[in-house]
Amino acid sequence: MKLAVMSCIHGNYEALNAVLSDIDAQKADQIYCLGDLVGYGPYPNAVVEMIRSLDIPTCQGCWDEDIVEGLNACDCSYPSQLAEKRGHLAHEWTNQAIHPEVREYLASLPMTLREGNLCFVHGSPNSQHEYLLPTMDGFAALERVLAAEADVLFCGHTHIPYLRELENGTLSVKVQQPGQSETHREFTAPLKRIINAGSVGEPRHGRPNATYVLYDTDSTQVTLREVPYDYEKTCAAIIEQGLPPIFAWRLARGMEFAERAEDAGHVCER
Amino acid sequence: MPHLIAISGPSGSGKTTWISQFLKDQSTPQYYVCPGLGEISVDLARMGYRFPSVQVVPEAQLKTVLADLPEQATLYLEWGFHLDLGSPFLAELPWERVAVLPPDLAESDWHGWADRVILGNAVVAPANGCLPEIWCTPLTGQVFDPPSLDDLLIELTGGAYGQVCRMKGIFELPDGRAFYVDFVDGLPGREYTELAIPRWLSGRPDRFSGIEVAGYGLNREVIAQTLMDSALSDAALAQYQQHYQSLHPSEEAISV
Repeated sequence: MKLAVMSCIHGNYEALNAVLSDIDAQKADQIYCLGDLVGYGPYPNAVVEMIRSLDIPTCQGCWDEDIVEGLNACDCSYPSQLAEKRGHLAHEWTNQAIHPEVREYLASLPMTLREGNLCFVHGSPNSQHEYLLPTMDGFAALERVLAAEADVLFCGHTHIPYLRELENGTLSVKVQQPGQSETHREFTAPLKRIINAGSVGEPRHGRPNATYVLYDTDSTQVTLREVPYDYEKTCAAIIEQGLPPIFAWRLARGMEFAERAEDAGHVCER
Repeated sequence: MPHLIAISGPSGSGKTTWISQFLKDQSTPQYYVCPGLGEISVDLARMGYRFPSVQVVPEAQLKTVLADLPEQATLYLEWGFHLDLGSPFLAELPWERVAVLPPDLAESDWHGWADRVILGNAVVAPANGCLPEIWCTPLTGQVFDPPSLDDLLIELTGGAYGQVCRMKGIFELPDGRAFYVDFVDGLPGREYTELAIPRWLSGRPDRFSGIEVAGYGLNREVIAQTLMDSALSDAALAQYQQHYQSLHPSEEAISV
């Protein structure tokens, strides 16, 4: 079975349409979405309506959560004071623009989705706000996959697609208890994979193209797809809709509207 | 008789760099003036910080200083690209006229004006009648959130707020250091130079900082707003300074 996994659409309807067309051309059997349907982009309602109309299984992203729960992420989740101010502007705009039924739908989204040995999350199994970066410590990365009780963990949130293989991990544990001799135990974990789908609507890889991944459950082959689209239409809509014009400028350069926090492992305490 | 040298050329051609090589010499009195941008400009402040032995002259005091220059003195007058080469002020005194020009510029008003031409940076000189606009503002007292300042400078020099040919600024950071930042369109990257001045770790710095931007179609309002959005509040600055004071207790720092 061929799966298409996409994430981080961020109200970019043009990019979503282009990705859906590409998925169709690639003859995927099933689509999964890893959340962040809204936020920063000019068409949050249209994006949600499209995802719902296609009945795409979707988990909740950090922006989806913030629109439902209110903006209560701590300021450490922004990389800079400027990004925080812009993030708040985008949140206020989206909060005003969003339809009640769209908000209800976002509230109904699960944190994780499962399909056999596959697990789908937005950030990590711990939080929609945690970044699983490709450079993350191997032990911590393996812990996240094991916590999901999966062999393959699909995630988004970083906006840069990647495949990370954690091969035959061996964990050595020494336990020293009072009055007892030290015990030494080893656990062997079979091959685990983390597959990041990148971002459909807010890429951060230096080009404006949308990204998503294809996964063949039979061959376990992973294909990272990069899809060009008419990003200038989205840029024009950002300005027409009254969002900060700098979002359009950054989108056109694949720079993301607000880059991730410096402490990528940071998880907001609520 | 004092030696008067007027230096002109396009934005980013290397006028200040050319002058700087002579300002290290402390054997005779040196003066530096950079008129056209008000009382205190980024260049004037930077030269003052970099060469403490040099007398930097505010524009308003230029005539007074000229009238009373010591015999052995050398005065460097940096005449910006936006100023008139035919100014009566230049005609009144026996200036040695130096043009710092891009190597590819074969013909220009500067060639006709200068006593000698120095080859400078390979920048694109503006066409006649198409000089870039200049926007400048003092930022004294403002201290910047470093990643915000970085984003702002990337966007500004990348063309997000209009086409920028040149940007130079002095910015204060919350660890008490101040940096000179220089960008010339056509040259690689932005240059960051830490100024050799004491860390300012108590309250808002009471020394000059500011920015000058030359370019076309500059969105001044948005640049100013983005600068303010990147500057720290009193509470945030106090928090940073408390942290850095504990890290640098033995360093010489300015307190008010």
